[in-house]
Amino acid sequence: MRRLWLVLLLAAAPLAAQQPKPAPPIRFEEISEKAGARLLHHTRTFHGKSADVLGMFTSGGASVAVGDFDGDGDDDLFVTDSDAGKPCHLLRNEFRPTGKLAFTEVTKEAGVEGGNDPKSIVADALWLDADNDGRPDLLVARFGTPILYHNLGNGKFKDVSKEAGLTKFGNTIAAIAFDYDNDGRVDLLLGNYFPPVNLIDLPTPHVLPNNLDQATNGGGVTLWRNVTEPGSGKIRFVEVTEKAGLARHTGWTLDLGHGDLNNDGWQDLYIADDYGTDRLFLNNGDGTFRDATQSSLGGLDTKKGMNAEIVDYDNDGWLDVYVTNITDEYMKECNMLWHNNGDGTFTDLSKETGTCNTLWGWAAKFGDFDDDGWQDLFAVDGLRSASKENYIPVLLEMIITPNIDFTDVNNWPAIGKMSWSGYQRKKLFRNLGTQAFKEMAAEAGVDNDLDGRGIALADFDDDGRLDIYQTNANQNSLLYHNVSASGGHWIELKLIGTKSNRDAIGARATLKAGGGQMIREVNGGNGYAGQSTTRLHFGLGKTTAVDSLEIRWPGGKIEKVTVPIDKVTTIKEGAGVVP
Amino acid sequence: MKRLRTLLLLAVCAAPALHAAAFDDAMKAVSAHNDAAALPLFESALTADPDNLQYSNEYRKAVIRTKEYDRAIDFYGKLTAAHPQAAFAWLNYGYTYVDKIPDAGSITQVILANNALTNFTKSIDLKKSWIALYTRGNSYLYWPKIFGRAPLGVADLEAAVAMARAEAKKKKVYVRSWIALGDGYWKTEQPEKAKATWREGLQLFPGDPQLQARLARDGEELEKYIYDQLDPNKRVDTNLAPLWEE
Repeated sequence: MRRLWLVLLLAAAPLAAQQPKPAPPIRFEEISEKAGARLLHHTRTFHGKSADVLGMFTSGGASVAVGDFDGDGDDDLFVTDSDAGKPCHLLRNEFRPTGKLAFTEVTKEAGVEGGNDPKSIVADALWLDADNDGRPDLLVARFGTPILYHNLGNGKFKDVSKEAGLTKFGNTIAAIAFDYDNDGRVDLLLGNYFPPVNLIDLPTPHVLPNNLDQATNGGGVTLWRNVTEPGSGKIRFVEVTEKAGLARHTGWTLDLGHGDLNNDGWQDLYIADDYGTDRLFLNNGDGTFRDATQSSLGGLDTKKGMNAEIVDYDNDGWLDVYVTNITDEYMKECNMLWHNNGDGTFTDLSKETGTCNTLWGWAAKFGDFDDDGWQDLFAVDGLRSASKENYIPVLLEMIITPNIDFTDVNNWPAIGKMSWSGYQRKKLFRNLGTQAFKEMAAEAGVDNDLDGRGIALADFDDDGRLDIYQTNANQNSLLYHNVSASGGHWIELKLIGTKSNRDAIGARATLKAGGGQMIREVNGGNGYAGQSTTRLHFGLGKTTAVDSLEIRWPGGKIEKVTVPIDKVTTIKEGAGVVP
Repeated sequence: MKRLRTLLLLAVCAAPALHAAAFDDAMKAVSAHNDAAALPLFESALTADPDNLQYSNEYRKAVIRTKEYDRAIDFYGKLTAAHPQAAFAWLNYGYTYVDKIPDAGSITQVILANNALTNFTKSIDLKKSWIALYTRGNSYLYWPKIFGRAPLGVADLEAAVAMARAEAKKKKVYVRSWIALGDGYWKTEQPEKAKATWREGLQLFPGDPQLQARLARDGEELEKYIYDQLDPNKRVDTNLAPLWEE
């Protein structure tokens, strides 16, 4: 009997070896060079005594923003650089009309290369149609004052920062656009890391966090209300941080996320802070926010929040929040997947779902990469990949020095050529639809070990599969073309507001199909250092018909529409599907 | 000489009456679920008898329940300054930092753990007790490998095990030093020594579930188990009652 088993086993072995491995459900090809989208980022070089430490603390500015700046229907790219004199990059997507996924750099013609002047560092970027003229304008956030480029519509942009009132200095690392007062104009929220001192010309060495787990001396946020007069062509913002109830937050903001977390029609906020103290603010609907961190999240955290992504990952009709933190050999923070309980409270399910560990986390974005109706998660990580020598033991000596003043930049040891949480493999978690995810970055071809920072998701070639653009600090960016063979059906929606803001930021689509329901909201830049497409993408799996599709516009109006599957459809507020 | 001893004994016995009364009152307050009232009473008892392990043990339990860690750290700081030769006061000073760790952020945890080690070392310098050696040795094991502290832990735990071996009566609590020493060997990549230590422990303390759990595992499963045991986010059992409850 035993021999029979052995014979069968031996007979089966060659057959098993010959069986082709089944294709992974999610698969990407890295095409940045081929597509003309590979760009080398440079972190800012500092000079003087604290150069090394400041360089380390400001290495977060490799970002990407997706937007259709030329109105040809496909999504273009704006990619930042950060070192003095280095240009940022505007890449025009040539898919329409050529049919080829390729990008052409048009930065100089457009006039948007600037920002890295001797006293300012570019850290983030954001497309927003500030004057509702149908042409996305471009905000370049800086450690410095922001730059707002008005899209003139002829491939050129004009710097209107001063006229727009955006002249306040801040060490801004995150920016989102959303209509917090539902007045039909997108407002701006800027997240500031350091307190507002110029790092390039330090007035004091005391510029670093006053506590490494619950710091309160960061830059907080500033909220800018859009007061542009319709049709004036003159973009204007006024600061309303104090009035809106956001001024008391003084954490080290790294990322901002917005979404209607309590389904009341108003956009709420999640602020991810480094060195603890993430905040959840609920919108009161009267131009103010209330701090609901205690009641919703159970209090202030102590983790190193890097990313605020807001989606309904479990299709229960409530938006959830995903925050990356630091999990490494020397620090076991775990990420936070704040599951929205629908009663004003959230429960962290990162451990239970298997999404806890993305090492030294940065951006993380959900997208249905295999079009099966469940949103998957791609997360980038890695701080600094250099020599084999590790900075952590050196840093430890400083941390355990009795009565050390962490705020003093001179107390921090130089990092030199040492690595710090470097060479980390990226993570892709496939959503199994059962409150469980399976990590499959290697199978999917996205397990690079670069020092990741930002992620933007977009369907650059209109094939219904979400592609990924990844930025990396001091390294080349990557473009992952989605070549998954899952064959799931899909729909994509481009929403255009008329009464609402034209970008339709904050609009929610509710789709019913195959007995299930999914929601998607248009967001204006959620997730660290990356703005994804404003098109809403739904994977449908094998379902070939949509039972219903409802759009709730930011102003509150609800429209029912019928759309074809496997196509990109444009829907205009009040007019339904338009060509 | 004998008279002098008698006099000294009487003097020592007179003071306990006072601090024992304070301790009794503190325990009554604890029984009445009034930890806030108990804390100053425990402190009063400890001020009179700083090396009393039982007083410190009950005090720290109340501190954990009320999360008044900073108050306790401040108290022990003053107590050890006033009684620098009180080895067990230093030990409990260290435990107070350990007790705070699960409620702290990841970087503060490192600072607290380091402060605890400093105080455990003071205690050992004054008196090489089994409990202090075991405690410091075990504490070193919680540090990530990258910081290279596990070998220091092994050295302490070898000394603790040697002391326990020499004891005629093997108190049940001593099993902890065999468990931890095995963990230390495992963490310093000496798996065979680790298993031999756990096996020896099981011979001396038959049926110990922690030793059995380790010996029933291997490879990745054992690694996960040990790392889970040494998770700084989980509260470390610093209850000293097993030392005198047998």
